[in-house]
Amino acid sequence: MKQSFVFSGSGGQGIMSAGITLAATAIEMGKHATYLPEYGPEQRGGSAKCTVVISEEPIVSPLPKYCDNLIVMNEQAYAKFAEDLKEGGVLLANSCRVKDAAIENARVISAPVDDLALELGSAKIANTVLMGILIGATGIVSREAFTDALEKKFRDKKPGVLEMNMAALDKGIEIGRKA
Amino acid sequence: MGDIKFMKGNEAIAEAAVRAGCRFFAGYPITPQNEIPEYLSWRLPEVGGAYVQGESEIASINMVYGAAAMGARAMTSSSGPGISLKAEGISYLAAAMLPALIVNISRGGPGLGSIQPAQSDYLQATKALGHGGFHAMVFAPNSAQEAADLVYTAWDYAERDRNPVLLLMDGCLGNIMEEVQLPPMREMKDEDLPEWSLTRRNGRDYQGNITPIYTEPILEGINTMAGEMYKAWEEDDVKVEEFMLDDAEYVIVAYGIASRVAKEAVLRLRAEGHKIGLLRPITLFPFPKKQIRDLDYNRVKGIIDIEMTIPAQMREDIELQVKDRCPVYEYGRSGGCLLDDEGVYEAIGEILAGGENNG
Amino acid sequence: MAEYMRSHMIADAQSGYCPGCLHALATRLVSDVIEELGQADNSLNVISVGCSALNILYWNGDFLSVAHGRAPAAATGVKRTNPERLVFAYQGDGDLAAIGLAEIMSAANRGENFTVIFANNQTYGMTGGQMAPTTLLGQKTTTTVYGRDAETTGYPMKMCELISTLEAPVFVARYALNSPKGIRDARAGIKKAFEYQLAGKGFTFVELLTNCPTNWKLSPLQTLEYMNTNTIPYFKPGVYKDKEAENV
Repeated sequence: MKQSFVFSGSGGQGIMSAGITLAATAIEMGKHATYLPEYGPEQRGGSAKCTVVISEEPIVSPLPKYCDNLIVMNEQAYAKFAEDLKEGGVLLANSCRVKDAAIENARVISAPVDDLALELGSAKIANTVLMGILIGATGIVSREAFTDALEKKFRDKKPGVLEMNMAALDKGIEIGRKA
Repeated sequence: MGDIKFMKGNEAIAEAAVRAGCRFFAGYPITPQNEIPEYLSWRLPEVGGAYVQGESEIASINMVYGAAAMGARAMTSSSGPGISLKAEGISYLAAAMLPALIVNISRGGPGLGSIQPAQSDYLQATKALGHGGFHAMVFAPNSAQEAADLVYTAWDYAERDRNPVLLLMDGCLGNIMEEVQLPPMREMKDEDLPEWSLTRRNGRDYQGNITPIYTEPILEGINTMAGEMYKAWEEDDVKVEEFMLDDAEYVIVAYGIASRVAKEAVLRLRAEGHKIGLLRPITLFPFPKKQIRDLDYNRVKGIIDIEMTIPAQMREDIELQVKDRCPVYEYGRSGGCLLDDEGVYEAIGEILAGGENNG
Repeated sequence: MAEYMRSHMIADAQSGYCPGCLHALATRLVSDVIEELGQADNSLNVISVGCSALNILYWNGDFLSVAHGRAPAAATGVKRTNPERLVFAYQGDGDLAAIGLAEIMSAANRGENFTVIFANNQTYGMTGGQMAPTTLLGQKTTTTVYGRDAETTGYPMKMCELISTLEAPVFVARYALNSPKGIRDARAGIKKAFEYQLAGKGFTFVELLTNCPTNWKLSPLQTLEYMNTNTIPYFKPGVYKDKEAENV
């Protein structure tokens, strides 16, 4: 089954990093994946978007117009990309910045991702909470494979960073499973 | 199986270049190719090579000219506006018969255009990379893997022909991350240095000189040799992917990123019962003339040129081979607006419907 | 007393330089020094565009002929891949101070370990005597028929002075080839520059004030006098930078 994901928000929200980690995790699990970033000329604060395609088969086109899963971190991203979600797709919205996310014929999951991240220790782990929710809700990659990816990514970082991300992931998965 | 890496197209190009024996890079920053110089700035010194950030594209291509004259496997990379600036130097490489790899990760044009991806440099790449009427072999990969594979062989062609090679790929494929299986590291030995190079390490004990300027009868001879070389390329070196063409009534011609979106459309239209296929030039020069010329035009009802640029630039090359034996259609997006699966599928659907109505 | 002999670095052929042109002397000095240093087989001449390109016909050593103004860039590619070679670029004033200004300043600023020999004759000789960036104020050329006017064309560029403001260069000097002393000094300067390069010290720059009897429309002897009264007072000979001497 081919699944497409659009992650969007503003630069600095960890959107690109989330997309790369998801695609890399899928490949570690033996699947195929492409990750395509799109950004404006700004280094920070501008719009950020990436498209991830995951499949059991090699990916032919990395450029779907409509996505199966839309992850929006702010209001602008929601306004811009809501129409690109396939019927019956998954909308995951950061309710701290997207008010009243609602798309007909979609599975809408709204969670206060920013607040949850702050509660768990840092605004910087919002994207990990987000990935946890996505994994919990869709099962696109396994928790084990994603934790391996997190371990690789944060192995050499300050002590505590990995643990904080693990907690963020589990909190997200818990929310995603219930949603 | 070697190790599969999840890497950017641009980084795959850089690492494959190092493994192919590239030991010199000079370039100037421009989006969307920056990962190539960034990667090589730390990677080349690791293998005893040199990286120089040039003061301009013009300086960079001339640094490559100097390194290539010494027999080093040398390269530069840029995007459309920078390739225009390198045009003089690329022409000099061709004149001085120096091998080198030039990479164009293309973006919207003309002018400063757009930093977003586009396939806007087909004509520049295939018709006039610089003044004086020369050609370079032009490779157009459609994945990070194919980019790595083609870069790995680029200097073999360049050194065989003593002529620069261009790799043309849009910013989308430059920035995409996907699986890449990297080729093995080549050992570069001093005795493998070309005998014509100006280095003394190849054991040469006579005067060596390399020049891009010639007196009258010699230059004509060199022009004639070049013409014969381009003809030989057409015979021996055309690379093309033919997908579901055996019974195709409609043939899409698309290269690079456009070919992937087109292939997705072919699969979807085939599932609906349409007889459609894809012809993908992997070398844009030499162009797969024969493959298009020899299609069965009793069966083929239309050719569809899909490119991520408007107007389509490859169309004239296709039309020269089709010779009015069927209509040639085009569909594209441009200026940083990307092709997408739905758009291409719908556009082809309209062409098929129109063609069937006309028929 | 050394015997005066033709340098082996220069082909046994009639020079294509105009009668009285100091280019021939400049290349002779360079070749003498290369031979004296035992570098004939190890040297590589990066030949630029302009009258300097006539070296293609007479230079017996290895050479690489390159695009107009880009000799310092090409020399960078040469030297970075072959650090053991004695590499020098031989450039004229249009090549170096106009179209190639970015290349010379950037190569100097990077401290590339090669030598640039700069022949400054204040005109574009090969193309027919147009104004060069170094043409003196009031000097008549085919594009300044009433004499160079600062109002519209600015002032002659002083390359030694410019390059010596950079941190990286180790040796920057100017010599005038219109007198025996000037010629002797120039020879010593070229030798020092090459020695510095061979020792891996960094970027070296030697400017040689030369003439152009044809385009100045003066006899060879008159050009030497013209240089005394006009060129030398503006382009002052001397060592502008010598990092080794500073360290002594």
